[in-house]
Amino acid sequence: MAQLKVLRRVLTIAHISRIARCGAPRSLFSAFALLLLAGSSLAQCPKRPDPGSLVHNPLELISRNGVLKAELSMRHSVDDQGYNHYCYDYKTAKGEVEEPTLRLKQGDTLQLDIKDRIEDMDDAGLEDMSMAGMPGKVCGDTGKMTLRSTNVHFHGLNVPPVCHQDDVLTTLIQPNSRPFPFKLQIPKDEPPGLYWYHPHVHGFTEFQVNGGAAGAIVVDGMEKFRPEVAGLAERIFVIRQQFLVPWVPGPYQLTINNQVADYPHMRSPIIQMKTGEKQFWRVVNATLQDFLQLQVLAGGKPEKLQLIALDGYPLGKPRDEDVILLPPAGRAEFIVEAPPKGDYSIFQTQAYSTGPTGNPDLEQTLAQIEVKDVPADGAPVPVRPLTAGKIKFADLASQKVTANRKLYFSEQFGGTNGPIQFYITVDGQKEKVFEPNEKPAITTKVGAVEDWTVENRAFETHAFHIHQIHFKILEVDGKPVQNQDMRDTIEIPYWEGPGHPYHSVKMRMDFRDPTIAGMFVFHCHILLHEDLGMMHKILVKR
Amino acid sequence: MPQCAFAANKPGAHFVFTNDDVTSEGNTATFYNVANNGALSKKKSVRTRWDGIAGGLFGMNRVVALQNGKQGCAYLSEAQTGQIVSISLPSLKTAGSGKGSKTDGGMSNGIGLAVNSSNLYASFSDSSTIGTFQLAAGCKFKFLGDTTAVGLQGGVVDGMALHGSIMVVTYGDGSIESFNIASGVPVSNNDEQNSSGSKGDTAYPNGVDITADGHFAIFGDTANSTIVEVSDISSGQLSKTVVYHLGKAISSSTVVLSPDESLLFIGNTQGGSVSAAFFDKTTGTLSSGCASKRLKQWGNWTYLGGLAQQNTTGAGGDLYAAEYSSPSSIAVIHVESSGGKCTLQESSKSPVLDKASPGLLSIGSYPPRGF
Repeated sequence: MAQLKVLRRVLTIAHISRIARCGAPRSLFSAFALLLLAGSSLAQCPKRPDPGSLVHNPLELISRNGVLKAELSMRHSVDDQGYNHYCYDYKTAKGEVEEPTLRLKQGDTLQLDIKDRIEDMDDAGLEDMSMAGMPGKVCGDTGKMTLRSTNVHFHGLNVPPVCHQDDVLTTLIQPNSRPFPFKLQIPKDEPPGLYWYHPHVHGFTEFQVNGGAAGAIVVDGMEKFRPEVAGLAERIFVIRQQFLVPWVPGPYQLTINNQVADYPHMRSPIIQMKTGEKQFWRVVNATLQDFLQLQVLAGGKPEKLQLIALDGYPLGKPRDEDVILLPPAGRAEFIVEAPPKGDYSIFQTQAYSTGPTGNPDLEQTLAQIEVKDVPADGAPVPVRPLTAGKIKFADLASQKVTANRKLYFSEQFGGTNGPIQFYITVDGQKEKVFEPNEKPAITTKVGAVEDWTVENRAFETHAFHIHQIHFKILEVDGKPVQNQDMRDTIEIPYWEGPGHPYHSVKMRMDFRDPTIAGMFVFHCHILLHEDLGMMHKILVKR
Repeated sequence: MPQCAFAANKPGAHFVFTNDDVTSEGNTATFYNVANNGALSKKKSVRTRWDGIAGGLFGMNRVVALQNGKQGCAYLSEAQTGQIVSISLPSLKTAGSGKGSKTDGGMSNGIGLAVNSSNLYASFSDSSTIGTFQLAAGCKFKFLGDTTAVGLQGGVVDGMALHGSIMVVTYGDGSIESFNIASGVPVSNNDEQNSSGSKGDTAYPNGVDITADGHFAIFGDTANSTIVEVSDISSGQLSKTVVYHLGKAISSSTVVLSPDESLLFIGNTQGGSVSAAFFDKTTGTLSSGCASKRLKQWGNWTYLGGLAQQNTTGAGGDLYAAEYSSPSSIAVIHVESSGGKCTLQESSKSPVLDKASPGLLSIGSYPPRGF
């Protein structure tokens, strides 16, 4: 029951979601958010783009001679509407920018120094949680995890779960401490594609990802696997979500590259394309909990999107889609052809039902597409000879399976607004929320190839994610899928209730690579759920 | 379901009523006439001037009834505005209203109510306080003062039940506590403790009821199965709870004893059903009884809220259960119990639509049970 200490704090306020759906005035939330943030510094992060302005690619930091070195500072701001932002601040000669894209090649080394420079702010009544982690092993700073503590997860990268690389269980960076150095090598066989980085301090992740601290990572070389993208202007769009009160599923705004997308309340962001142009769009769903159903509408009709990669993994062959579903943390890379000039065209997310106890994911225009003969914002993807080597997991389908496991999501409600216990459970084990000092729920060994079936027994859609590896989708609801995509995050729809089976996804897990040996986690990537314990450890022994 | 009757029930008004928990333009309490066969027919919705929140903690009773001679009163809480309102019975007119202290609030998860012959108690989930209101003629009441009530893990006051000079509360964080209410305002009995179920299971007490003789407090646990805990309170303090695993139906956040205490009715809050366990009022022990099938239209409604009973004698006649949805509904369940066996069968005319409610959690009956 230890988790309940924090849980209760959180959910004594969560009722507001219910009121929100019933039409409570937004001012109530604004006042509430500002109250919670009283005493905080209001403008640590750079100014964000004005509504109705052009959507530019984020600043790119590009590796040179096999190394990308950078220093980012985690900061915090509250905007004039009361929305709460965290940001990864990067200093340039021309000023400060936030969340630069990190661009590397296979085999490159990323050296990232992270400074926690969140100024004093009210913890909004949240209580500290002790950083238990693995006994005797604390990576970085000591002390308790708080709203001002941070660390970094390199989402999707198949890198070691160890200190100074991609370890979220024991890594802690405290405010105003020395820069914390991350140094990791992108594997030489890393799938070329789109990844992302974000904080992952258990209990506080959603606060820092809320409206800000999340940036793209690009591993170059997609054109070697999917030549369709060669020569196309590359656009990088990071879609974030900001709540007035981060843990309340009430009013929220989506943003695209930090510009608010709140049409018709605000003018839409603008994406420019040239007449007849094809662009290569690389989209990160960096929202806290929004399942995005991405679509380009031209004259009200959906355009075909040529899907190239999912979760940073190139597809075996491209396929045309009207709508691309991305769970929170998912990425999609696809080719968009400029709509006919003169048509009213938009990039939007359709509404998505997350179930009776889920959060409403509303339809929202993300940007208006303006067809205009101007220079492209993004640099073109290089045209290279087809020299693609092997990439990770390429032979996974033919591997012998060493174990089968079943896991399931479930929820326990003490009231309509909480307290809620969020569980992910290995079938046969006891349902429990994550505790930092818990033993691993799953122990396996390097070399294992396992088939996991993950069920959803809750009335809310969940998003399954595992660190360090990708997995191959084999079956959905017990039926083989046509497209056995490699993913690192996958949606599992809500249970419709009695008389209906649980929805499930069967996936193949690859633990053969010794570099990922160690302790890491699997969890729901709805960040409130993860923060409240819908997560457990897996130990991959050498 | 701690409600209180001072006098023998008299023929006349017989209602099941709801706190509709309407969030804007005034809350309503909807009163239903109860036929001899248990069927409900709407009599009237009484509108108040204050607003509810259409949700909150399951273990809270947001409506309670009191019968004092010919005078009957229903009390309901309106959590968005922190108000408590009384309705005179059987006239069905609002009679009084009041608030607690300036800091009392229940906007997050509701305001629970319990009543005895002298006082009305309100558990405020935001401030984690218990407000005491002195009762007066004509269903009026007057605020006396607050008692702070916080769980061992920081939980807020949730379920609340009264008997004589003892009040028992749950905190939703695994802990429970009792208070002495002999002088009106609750004073802690210094027995706050984590329940046994919260230690051994992923469970915590939510709703609570007390036996007619005040010997046992019975806790309905929020859990992944049906778990009920019993504490001997005959000493005037809580003793360590005994845990009963009573079935696989998901969660058991609301509990109510039948008038004859032979059965404990359990709302399987997330399981879409109701269960009944046999209760031995002498020993305070529970044994598995029966469970309904999934109640109709589950999926259209999400949670099963509070329970109420048709009659104040025997096994209580039909059982009524709040079905949380917008609009909400009330399930009507026939109860049969004899020879150590029981059945819970949903009526063919169930559910009854409670059209006014965007989120029904609490339901009461009048005349109230005698303890």
